[in-house]
Amino acid sequence: MSWEWFLPIVAAAVQAGTPIFYATVGEILMERAGILNLGVEGAMLLGALAGFWTSMVTGNPWVGLAAAAAVGSLACLLHGVVTTVALANQVVSGLALTILATGLANFLGTPLIGLPAPGFDQRPLPGLSALPILGPVLFHQDVLVYASYLLPVLVSVGLRRTRFGLRLRAAGESPTACRAAGLSVLRLRLLACLFGGALIGIGGAYLSLAFTHLWTNGMTAGRGWIAVALVIFAFWRPGRAMVGAYLFGGVMAFQLRLQAAGTTVPSSLLLMLPYLLTVAVLAASSRFRGVAGAPAALGTNPEPSE
Amino acid sequence: MALVVRKRREPLPWWGSCLIFLAAVALALGGGGAMLALQGKPALAGLSVLIGSAVGSLWAVEDCVLKAIPLFLCAVGVGLSFRMAVWNIGAEGQFALGAVGATWVALSLDHLPAAVLLPFMGLAAAVAGGLWAGVAAFLRALLGANETIVTLMLNYVGILVLEFLVFGPWKDPASFGFPMTAEFVPAAILPALPGTRIHWGLVLCGVVGVAVTLAMRSSRLGFEITVCGQNPAAARYARMPYGALMAVVLVAGGALAGLAGFVEVSAALGRLQPSIMTGYGYTAIVVAWLSGLRPLGVAGVALVLAALRVGLESLQLDFQVPAAFGGMMEGTMLLVVLAGSFFSRYQILRRPA
Amino acid sequence: MRKTMAMAVVLLVWCGSAWAKELQVGFVYVSPVGDAGYSYAHDQGRLALEAMGGVRTSFVESVAEGQDAERVITTMARKGYDVIFATSFGYMDPTLKVAKQFPNVKFLHCSGYKTAPNMANYFGRMYQARYLTGMVAGAMTKGNLLGYVAAFPIPEVIRGINAFALGAQAVNPKAEVRVVWTKTWYDPAREKEAAKSLLDAGCDVIAQHQDSPATQEAAQERGVYSIGYNSDMAKFAPKAHLTAAVWNWAPFYKEMIRQIQAGTWKADAYWWGMDRGVVDIAPFGPMVPEGVRAQVLAAKEAIVKGENNIFTGPIKDQKGVERVAAGVTMTDAELLAFNWFVQGVVGTLE
Repeated sequence: MSWEWFLPIVAAAVQAGTPIFYATVGEILMERAGILNLGVEGAMLLGALAGFWTSMVTGNPWVGLAAAAAVGSLACLLHGVVTTVALANQVVSGLALTILATGLANFLGTPLIGLPAPGFDQRPLPGLSALPILGPVLFHQDVLVYASYLLPVLVSVGLRRTRFGLRLRAAGESPTACRAAGLSVLRLRLLACLFGGALIGIGGAYLSLAFTHLWTNGMTAGRGWIAVALVIFAFWRPGRAMVGAYLFGGVMAFQLRLQAAGTTVPSSLLLMLPYLLTVAVLAASSRFRGVAGAPAALGTNPEPSE
Repeated sequence: MALVVRKRREPLPWWGSCLIFLAAVALALGGGGAMLALQGKPALAGLSVLIGSAVGSLWAVEDCVLKAIPLFLCAVGVGLSFRMAVWNIGAEGQFALGAVGATWVALSLDHLPAAVLLPFMGLAAAVAGGLWAGVAAFLRALLGANETIVTLMLNYVGILVLEFLVFGPWKDPASFGFPMTAEFVPAAILPALPGTRIHWGLVLCGVVGVAVTLAMRSSRLGFEITVCGQNPAAARYARMPYGALMAVVLVAGGALAGLAGFVEVSAALGRLQPSIMTGYGYTAIVVAWLSGLRPLGVAGVALVLAALRVGLESLQLDFQVPAAFGGMMEGTMLLVVLAGSFFSRYQILRRPA
Repeated sequence: MRKTMAMAVVLLVWCGSAWAKELQVGFVYVSPVGDAGYSYAHDQGRLALEAMGGVRTSFVESVAEGQDAERVITTMARKGYDVIFATSFGYMDPTLKVAKQFPNVKFLHCSGYKTAPNMANYFGRMYQARYLTGMVAGAMTKGNLLGYVAAFPIPEVIRGINAFALGAQAVNPKAEVRVVWTKTWYDPAREKEAAKSLLDAGCDVIAQHQDSPATQEAAQERGVYSIGYNSDMAKFAPKAHLTAAVWNWAPFYKEMIRQIQAGTWKADAYWWGMDRGVVDIAPFGPMVPEGVRAQVLAAKEAIVKGENNIFTGPIKDQKGVERVAAGVTMTDAELLAFNWFVQGVVGTLE
């Protein structure tokens, strides 16, 4: 047997990992600014719905993608407002967002179940797709996957080299110092919600516009939560998030392929693999949380100024 | 004239959260009515069906209580850890394991009389649920792994464990190959309270409620848990055993969710099948938070949410409203309460000119 | 919108008035009705009832199997519904429990095996349609490897896979069927991933026992063929969709209501097949050659006439052990409890 049987799994891993990757980078942006967002699952789901619905109505998946980004932003902004303005507990507000968004998406989305909508198809990139190994794995994908390859560079440079990025991180490391320097923590954090939420919304829309061209209630199926776990695994760095997301995609693709190859292991046990892997990855990476650069003020709300 | 926000010295007492909760319910109902109107359905008639069919008759109230029992048990457990700011959102998986534990006893010790068998089932359920939550406690204490994500992932795994058993080793050969265990013997079924349709799970809820209230109010353990939750720095300074306390709240919460699994598998289904998982564990998070984490409050909120679900079914039947309506109303309540809790901790004053 | 409002008002008036001589029929669905899939097929049947005289229908969707189902069915019975259709397997025990409390209400439970004096069970012989789609797949495959994206390992699904395999082997003895379990009825993302895993394993025709058309999409993207389920799925993958095994509940539901209105209804076990039109196959895609069509339609004729019962021996299981002797046909009870795969199916049963 040649090693080439392995390529489809890796290609499938990249595709299955992409929605998680987008969401993880979005969450990294928010957490870097000090906002822990457990509403990723809900915001992703709303993004998936908004993208699908808009694409169906306008017939243009790009408009759908824009709508998904906007709705993702709005959902995360709601969390941002509840935590930075009303100073509610970030954990609870995030959970509330997931519950509310899931209810809303299911309510609005039920009539759309089973309807078709235009989406993004796999288009090999001319030139690059002819590369050995890398070609079939990385460059026989859809446009959203290609766009995601740029994310680690863009976000890393944005956070480290631009003034806005530095301020954003200051809001997550030391809101007091930030305020002392005359910056508005509130504004910075809300902007982080805006950008992070857009990426989370796009991650959701990837499922309904590219991975499949269908909508169903609860179609994110826990991917948002995996993204939250991956942020810790990634030490809050987009590059590592990419590795983590593909690892997950790989496990999801692998367990189904084991079945297709005719394994005798019960399917329930195989389906546990991605979730067990999340726990294992989290446990393994949590030890280094301190040295890994968790934002110091993550999850805390500064008291209102008098 | 300008407004300033100032932290209250003492948060508003219990009536404050009651008021906020009532406001949330009112807003959610209003929102629900608006949604009905948007769909071209008579909003007022709809709301009256919703409320009337949930509390308008004795059997409806019985239905609400039946549905509130597992919610109460899960939510008290979840609330325990929330009090310590430990975020256990794994009640769903702990519930699944509890049902599995109870089923294991019901199937393997089916010759015992009810008076012995039922307590054993409850015990096995509590142990199974507690151990499942204990995994998260262990990983958090040892490695600092975030308990929110671990408990959530274990939900998926726990449900798959249940499925593995009912699709595999525990499948009842007499049930035509369908994924369910054999029916339990009568001794393994929680009986109804005399003269009602409500089973003994209600009494269990009472015992749990009193026990948790007493433990939190008047024991050192309860005091330490509260301090750890409100002021971790002070707790560390006072050398409170944070790790051990966290394990206690997680395992106790898991045990209570496990008990809920026992009550459901025994009283509601009488056998284990995958459809036992209906999201009580997730709803319990909403209940716990809405209730302000006190057992009495949990009971009230569990009843309100159970009534919402029950009433919603009639609303669906009479007006063909989609099923997802309920999730939205719950989410609205939660966000309103969350935003409203701001007013119990802070006050807005006019800045003197 | 005005129409729905008017309907709601009419409904309200009716609820209060005494001349509810009309038959009130309630349906309980396990999933949202949506626009495709299992509950949708039942709801199409319900809408056909609406067109009959003297019948009014309503439904509750997304009802979990268990205590919730018991409560919903009880509520319907208490509200004065005369006939209640419970359309999912897990409603069997709750329906039976409620049926005992309401002897004057008629209950019909789909896909189970229990009956009571006022409770019938019913289902359709979907395996007949599966067999025909298997024939199409067996004739169209080039690599003799067929894929099957399947939800849960329960008899209904296993029966369908076996019929599909037997149909494929009837025209192509070398055909092998690979099964992947998704453990979900409806999750497009997971279904698509499962379909792709089958395609990567070399399958060139894939079928499904799932409610979403994700499998069809995956086949079309890869340029191979697919077989749909529930309803005609051609619109989702016109280049891949060969045919589909489809439900058509209208004739059954209409007949039941007619019998109830006439007072001749009996609480039997109804298991209707292709001869009564409850199951069928969707129109062939243009890529299916004339010869294959003729062969499949001839087989359909034989099934309708009762000449081909599909599960007639000799049938061997996965290990090659003969489970049904030559000339023997499996009984309905055996079919209902199907828990083994026929030879040529590769997959686990858990």
